[in-house]
Amino acid sequence: MSVNGRGVERTVSPRRSLADFLREDLGLTGTHVGCEHGVCGACTVLVDDQTARSCLLFAAQLHDARVVTVEGLTPPEGLSALQAAFRDCHALQCGFCTPGMLAAAHELLAENADPTRDEIRDAIAGNLCMCTGYVNIVRAIELAARRLGASAAAVGAQGGAAPAPPRRE
Amino acid sequence: MLAGGQSLVPMLNMRLVRPARLVDINAVPGLADIRARDDGGLALGALTRHTALVTSRLVHEHAPLLAAAARHVGHRAIRNRGTLGGSLAHADPAAELPAALLALDARVVVAGPSGPRQIALDDFVLGALTTALAADEIVTEIDVPPARHAGWGFAEVARRAGDFALTGVAAVLHGNRGRCTAARLVAFGADERPVRLSAAEDALIGGARAEESAAVAALDCRPPADVHASADYRRHLVSVLTARVIGEALARLA
Amino acid sequence: MTRWVGAPLPRKEDARLLGGRGLYVDDVARPGLLHAAMLRSPHAHARIVAIDAAAAARRPGVHAVLTGADAAAVSRPIRPLIPTPVPLPDWCLAVDRVRYAGEAVAAVAAVDRATAEDALEQIRVEYEPLPAVVDPEAALRADSPLLYPELGTNVLWHDVFEYGDVAGAFARADGVLGERFGIQRYASTPLETFGAIAEHDAGLDTYTFWTNDQRPGLTLAILADSLGVPQSRLRLVTPDVGGAFGNKRRPAYLLVCALLARRAARPVKYLEDRLENLAALMHACNGVMDLELAYRADGTVLALRVRDVADEGKNLVSPTQHNLIKLGNIVNGYGIAAVSYEAYSVLTTKCPSGANRGIGKPFMCFAVERAMALLARRLGLDPAELRLRNYVGTGQMPYTTPPGAQYDSGDYAGTLRRALDRFDYPAAREAQARARREGRLLGIGIATSVEPAGTNLASYELVTGRRAASGSAEAAMVRVEPDGRVRASLGDPASGQGYETVVAQIVADELGVTPDDVHVERGFDSATTPWLYLSGNYSNKFSVTDVGAVLGAARAVRDKIRRIAAHRLEASAEDIELVDAVARVRGAPGRGVAMREIARTAYADVLGLPPGEPPGLEARHAYQNALAQPVGADRTVRSQLVFSNAAHCCLVEIDPRTGQVKIVRHVVVHDCGRELNPRLVEGMVHGSTVHGMGAALLEEFRYDADGQLLSATFMDYLKPTALDVPDIEVDRLEHPSPFTPLGAKGVGEGGAIPAPAAVANAVEDALAAYDVTVRSLPITPEQLWRWLVASKEAR
Repeated sequence: MSVNGRGVERTVSPRRSLADFLREDLGLTGTHVGCEHGVCGACTVLVDDQTARSCLLFAAQLHDARVVTVEGLTPPEGLSALQAAFRDCHALQCGFCTPGMLAAAHELLAENADPTRDEIRDAIAGNLCMCTGYVNIVRAIELAARRLGASAAAVGAQGGAAPAPPRRE
Repeated sequence: MLAGGQSLVPMLNMRLVRPARLVDINAVPGLADIRARDDGGLALGALTRHTALVTSRLVHEHAPLLAAAARHVGHRAIRNRGTLGGSLAHADPAAELPAALLALDARVVVAGPSGPRQIALDDFVLGALTTALAADEIVTEIDVPPARHAGWGFAEVARRAGDFALTGVAAVLHGNRGRCTAARLVAFGADERPVRLSAAEDALIGGARAEESAAVAALDCRPPADVHASADYRRHLVSVLTARVIGEALARLA
Repeated sequence: MTRWVGAPLPRKEDARLLGGRGLYVDDVARPGLLHAAMLRSPHAHARIVAIDAAAAARRPGVHAVLTGADAAAVSRPIRPLIPTPVPLPDWCLAVDRVRYAGEAVAAVAAVDRATAEDALEQIRVEYEPLPAVVDPEAALRADSPLLYPELGTNVLWHDVFEYGDVAGAFARADGVLGERFGIQRYASTPLETFGAIAEHDAGLDTYTFWTNDQRPGLTLAILADSLGVPQSRLRLVTPDVGGAFGNKRRPAYLLVCALLARRAARPVKYLEDRLENLAALMHACNGVMDLELAYRADGTVLALRVRDVADEGKNLVSPTQHNLIKLGNIVNGYGIAAVSYEAYSVLTTKCPSGANRGIGKPFMCFAVERAMALLARRLGLDPAELRLRNYVGTGQMPYTTPPGAQYDSGDYAGTLRRALDRFDYPAAREAQARARREGRLLGIGIATSVEPAGTNLASYELVTGRRAASGSAEAAMVRVEPDGRVRASLGDPASGQGYETVVAQIVADELGVTPDDVHVERGFDSATTPWLYLSGNYSNKFSVTDVGAVLGAARAVRDKIRRIAAHRLEASAEDIELVDAVARVRGAPGRGVAMREIARTAYADVLGLPPGEPPGLEARHAYQNALAQPVGADRTVRSQLVFSNAAHCCLVEIDPRTGQVKIVRHVVVHDCGRELNPRLVEGMVHGSTVHGMGAALLEEFRYDADGQLLSATFMDYLKPTALDVPDIEVDRLEHPSPFTPLGAKGVGEGGAIPAPAAVANAVEDALAAYDVTVRSLPITPEQLWRWLVASKEAR
């Protein structure tokens, strides 16, 4: 499979969850485990560009799949536009839900460049946060959408390519 | 049998089920296709993901009730993996999709060593977590008949958006706004399996208005009681939601 | 000079947390790490007749097994924070009896968690079930089955406190309003579960723990005592913590890991899974409160009489905390002159209780604010007006309440007025009236509360009759490194509050550097962080104690920098100011010494130091807040130290057909004194308010009559999602405390205290035409439907 753009080949026990595989076999501990029954969303990653609960997938199922974790959503230097917006809006406190939130936000913004607050709340409704009360997370995603839209528009105005999915800063 | 895994894997993680073998059918080709049938109906592969039901143009054209029902299933990450066939085979009494399929008069195609067979939805889901699937069969396809000129409605009550419904109702009506000539009203979370609200259907076809028909809706349910809701409350909700979906469906009739 | 304190700085923590580069306990890698699983009782109450773990121990991949009997042979019981009347051995694993479903009876360490859980299935336990004790009122009765026969009762504490002339006030009153209120079990359930890694060095006979435990001072004392080793041979490290809210405490689990690690001669990790967390870690006390208000016709409340039964579950470590905290805070900002408070702290066969966010104050506030709403209804007074007539006034501060709490500063009336203004209360009432005419059920709820900070452990003397620990204190370290940059650490491990940022702000102001120049150590490390028994994260104490410790250490370093600079510049230390990493003579900006130079002198070129000044540029400081005093002869005590306050206004709409409640709008105006970082403060208000909303409408740990937890997963224990709560509007007043080092007060518990009452008052207000009284939480749609039906039938 590919994880964050890199080919990975391993032999795994059939019962190994994707979450445990990412965390323990690959050392990508940014994906967190909060409930192991698919409700809390802390373990959410992107599988073939779609969000999925890594606690409900077995690593063995993902032969040939493309997995992106929070580490893959982070540029080598600095923060992505989405992450910067989270920081600027104080959209995280303990940080445990954040990787899953970023995955959900990433999927939303890839499909909907100008979401309403209701659409944002709907998109993150599957990610529990016990710290922030969600208010600043919604603001952050809204801000990220605005900033990405503005930069895409700037690119467009310069005669550049069509608006792209969330880019790195 | 592992398809979406969104119901099965939590049970595995909690050690509630201990299968000796787990067979991953996600890579079986051809099981995820959605195609329009020549008769105007819809053929949905068993591995159709809930997200595909929500976004597919074909589903919106031919069976918008399914798209509406699918939107209530869990949250996006769950919908990305969960499958229509899986939801059917799991047969949770509070699940949206089996009920929507019953309202659409769908047929289930299953396949096993002795070949494929077609089963009407009502003969497929037999009880709580119980279906007509033999041990060596899987669901391969769900066929939805043409729903030309049908009005549809869908409503549920859940403690939170995305939770299993306390109860819900799906409606498919034929006729016109003035007069309903055929009705399929199906409640879920209201019995051991999705249940036709026959008394309410008969009332509606007999000329009763939405509220009057809804008043007898609960007669056909035997709702469970659990930590989230009592049977009485569920019965009440069935009535409220039946009125609501009848109204929606009538408004959609051409 | 406060360039940084008070600024809404983005957080230093965020870069690593956003990139998934935080280090939580489950992320810590240790060579040879084994994973532990715990076998837990299926019974709420049972004798352990026999336990046989031999087969499990032989299983391939299993390296150690521990039963309660094993643990009792090599350790001592967990020492309680608040001792029980008779010593009741609290072993880290149940020995002869289990007292709640989910109590741990054995543990296995294996090569991975799955193997460990497989091995649990091979442990044979023979139980002799005993009757469960589930209802606290039933548990009080003489005929109740007993959790501890040697105690002779399930009542861990019963006492009556009376302050002022209660009988006289009731006799004089124009009326008495009495009601019984109830609250459910719930918990803040941080997203990261609780756990630890224990490692034993056989050569040194030392133990190292990595854990997300939030009270390291207390836990180290317990571990040393239970393991029988001096504290100097223990090290406890807290990395990043995924939320705590009072929940992250279970020294027993660390002890189990330590014993397994010793047996296996390998480090052992135990992390709760979510099911274990919900069933067995900690619930806020459920309980029943009978509350009576004696009032004058104009609405002035003269006295309060309260009978409060707190259901502690099987809590031997810190029972009575909820009662004590409620007692100390019971007048909730009102000038009520006389108080009678009868406390029961009761054992039941349920999950142990604990200091969940608010520690009893949410229930206290629910009861008092509900009573005020009922009184307003009875007297035909506007609920805001009734409160305004009763608040302690700004001019009366500092004001001592009957139980001894001292309100230090604040404008309670002004806070409420601002909230009503932000809410546009008159317009909201008009909108409500219009909606009513359309058959829609809109409700407006008001609730206000005090929010104390700091806990004076001397208050436990009210329970135990003697003073063991006391006061409220914390320790910190500030060090200018040899390269001139700054490092700081704090004995209070953060769990999302942003301490690394706020501490950097405070130190930066004192030393004339930027927060970027100040590296604040993550979490806690007993080997390097200064700490006390009292160290830890609890009771909102940051502003009350931690700030003092950081300031003290920073100022000691600042003063030394000044002395060194003065010596270099041949000036007087009083004339040296620290600006932009330069120590310079005030009024002569050209004459300065860079911080880097100062550090070089302090650490390397030590002959350049002033005579008698030792080398180095580091200070450790421990600070206690002087407000903490021993218990008075009249049994008054400042159990908590300084008081923030808040007013919540809530607008709900109820679907009359289904009973579903939507919180349409929620306004919070709060006053936490000086806001050290307004951005962080606002975030706390949002998050804590949502905790309160969850308690009001969604969350409940329900038990059946056999003591089985029915809401055992996140599918049944319902947490608020982004779709369940609105944008919360926040505004502030700022009345600094005269009694904290920077004038800041508490903010962590915040909205968790009044939000449940505000929502409940709004729901009842929506149903005003139906004569419904909300007496308990949570309020479910089904309950609302039943009220509506019953009310219609009554007509």
